[in-house]
Amino acid sequence: MTNIHLPASGLAEDILENYKEEQKDVHLVTFNLGEEYGVPISQVQEIVRVGGITMVPNSPSYMEGVINLRGRVLSVLNLRKRLGLSDKVASNASRIIVTEVGSKVIGLLVDAVSHVIKIPSESVEAPPEEVLEIDTDYITGVGKIKERLIILLDLEKLLKREKIEISEVEAGPHPGGDDGKDQ
Amino acid sequence: MEYNELIKDFLDDANMHINEFDNALLSLEKNGLNNEIVFNTLGSLHTLKGNSGMMGFESLKIYIHQIEEVLKRVNDNKPELGIVMDLLFDSANVVRNAILCIAKDPSLNPDLTENILALQQNLENESVIAGKENMELASYLGTKTDTIKVDFKRLNDLLNLVGELVIFKTRLNQIESDIRETVGHSSLSKEFNDGLELMGKTISGLQEGIMRARMLPVSYVFNKFPRMVRDLSKSQGKEIRLVFEGEDTELDKTVIDEIEEPLLHIIRNAIDHGIEAPKERVAKGKSHYGSIRLSASQESNYVIIKVEDDGKGIDYEHVRETAIQKGLIKADDPFDKESILFLLFSAGFTTKQEATDISGRGVGLDIVNKNISKLNGQIIVESTVGKGSSFIIKLPLSLAIIPALMAEAGEEIYAIPMSAVDESIKVREEDIHMINNHEVIRFRERVIPVVRLDDFFGLEKKRMSRFYLVILGRAEKRLAIAVDRLKGQQEIVIKPLDDTFGKSYGIAGASILGDGRIVLITDVMAFWNTGDSKKINAK
Repeated sequence: MTNIHLPASGLAEDILENYKEEQKDVHLVTFNLGEEYGVPISQVQEIVRVGGITMVPNSPSYMEGVINLRGRVLSVLNLRKRLGLSDKVASNASRIIVTEVGSKVIGLLVDAVSHVIKIPSESVEAPPEEVLEIDTDYITGVGKIKERLIILLDLEKLLKREKIEISEVEAGPHPGGDDGKDQ
Repeated sequence: MEYNELIKDFLDDANMHINEFDNALLSLEKNGLNNEIVFNTLGSLHTLKGNSGMMGFESLKIYIHQIEEVLKRVNDNKPELGIVMDLLFDSANVVRNAILCIAKDPSLNPDLTENILALQQNLENESVIAGKENMELASYLGTKTDTIKVDFKRLNDLLNLVGELVIFKTRLNQIESDIRETVGHSSLSKEFNDGLELMGKTISGLQEGIMRARMLPVSYVFNKFPRMVRDLSKSQGKEIRLVFEGEDTELDKTVIDEIEEPLLHIIRNAIDHGIEAPKERVAKGKSHYGSIRLSASQESNYVIIKVEDDGKGIDYEHVRETAIQKGLIKADDPFDKESILFLLFSAGFTTKQEATDISGRGVGLDIVNKNISKLNGQIIVESTVGKGSSFIIKLPLSLAIIPALMAEAGEEIYAIPMSAVDESIKVREEDIHMINNHEVIRFRERVIPVVRLDDFFGLEKKRMSRFYLVILGRAEKRLAIAVDRLKGQQEIVIKPLDDTFGKSYGIAGASILGDGRIVLITDVMAFWNTGDSKKINAK
């Protein structure tokens, strides 16, 4: 993943210094949701084409469904809906980014995957609240490369927050599904 | 269990305990006295002592008791360990040799009188002089064992892998038929097919083998009850004989774990509500002792567990009156056996005026019902006043791979666990009637509520003129699930759904079909909840 370029001196301390520099870089997989977003490459397992999604009834609207990932049932999250952005019909360019956060493996449906890039960590800034469409809670920062802005998503928070909401729902008298019918 | 098997178990266990004892001694010798180690060792010795006594090795039992005494004294007096250690190591060898001797010929009952005396003397003199028990070199290895302990998780992982194999195989079958369709019959496709068939056989063998490895005899659960029955019947002045039948019947460990609680509630209900006091029984012309019969048997893919008592049976009138008092039903509601029995399973229902220690809080049968449904099982009650009651539980053999009915609704396929299904029928739209704004079907002189799967899951409605009803059974109740089409029965591997985004109501899991498609497995319990709420609304 990281290529360490040996310094001309070949001295151990220089190599180490070099390595530290490398460490400061942020490796990202970037993708498009109208604007450009990015997640750390360390959290990405693979990227697959969209197809064969089975809808799961009585699940939150941002839950796209489940797919068969080589014999494994993988939940797919519609990232647009999850972030409260306007919905867009899946196209040929749409992809599912299979992410691994903690012990959870979850797919994220995105419009298109753009790049795998490396940006220096000093070019990542705190999110400027006023210009963003989405909740800044889910954002670790904004990366700037020349004219491009990359919004860095905090997957851990995105999924952790989920849990709190769900436990509230579960505490309710009737976990849905039964309502809105037969009346 | 056969005596030989018991001996085998005893020896396996004994070897484990004696190894633990040895290791503890080694640790004590190296690191000095340690309360925790001594305590654990005492526990281990105590078990071994108990087992030896149970197997009739009286002398060995007394000897181990003496070792315990020495060890206790050592722990209390904290002497210099050196000489005591030799004594203890010797004693470990004595026990090991005795076990070896039993392993060679179980009918031999090793006589350790001399060794016992020696240990006693040592204890009395406090001088602890070690007599040397010589050990043959080979005996350090102990006896060989035919059983191994395996972490259940490993078996689970294996079963998952086999499940995937089953899926891939169905996928290959699909490809094979596709090839035949496009290319037509050829010797190559025939060979491919033959190869597939052979592989299929091996996979089934593998699947069965792993399923077997996960099985435990139901006696594992049954044996937990004699003590409870004894204590409870004593405290109530009742005489009860508990009889087992078919306790060798094997069940998947996951099922075994889940049926303990339901059985506990049913049995304590039988003791508390079913079996009468001896005097009452004699007056009725019954034997003074009551019987509870716990039996298990296998029927194709299911296990039937029955709890039968010869007590007073369920007094329908009494149940009905209580239900009216509690406002669960109205006095002018029709009196039928099935809905009365069903009341017994509802939350918070009890006919006892005061809750006893044992039952009467009205939670028991409610839990039974929930747990059985969770296992995709069914429960049926049969009862005759004056003669007794039986609770019949029907469970799938395994929770990991189950037979399921594949049903289509709104272009989607859903799997309904077969164990919950009674039968399925083809109907027309005009067969469905409305009662109090709820759809019902008249079937076999019963009125059964209908839940439409497309409504339930909010799917696109296809509304065909002819469609199917899958009749579910639970206790005496029936519920009809309306689906567009039936796609036959299939063995499916249950895979859990990720619950990061919450549990989806009505969905118990997912399974992957041969063509790679995912089907969702319905949670039958949710249908019942909907069906029940309909009934309540209707009243």
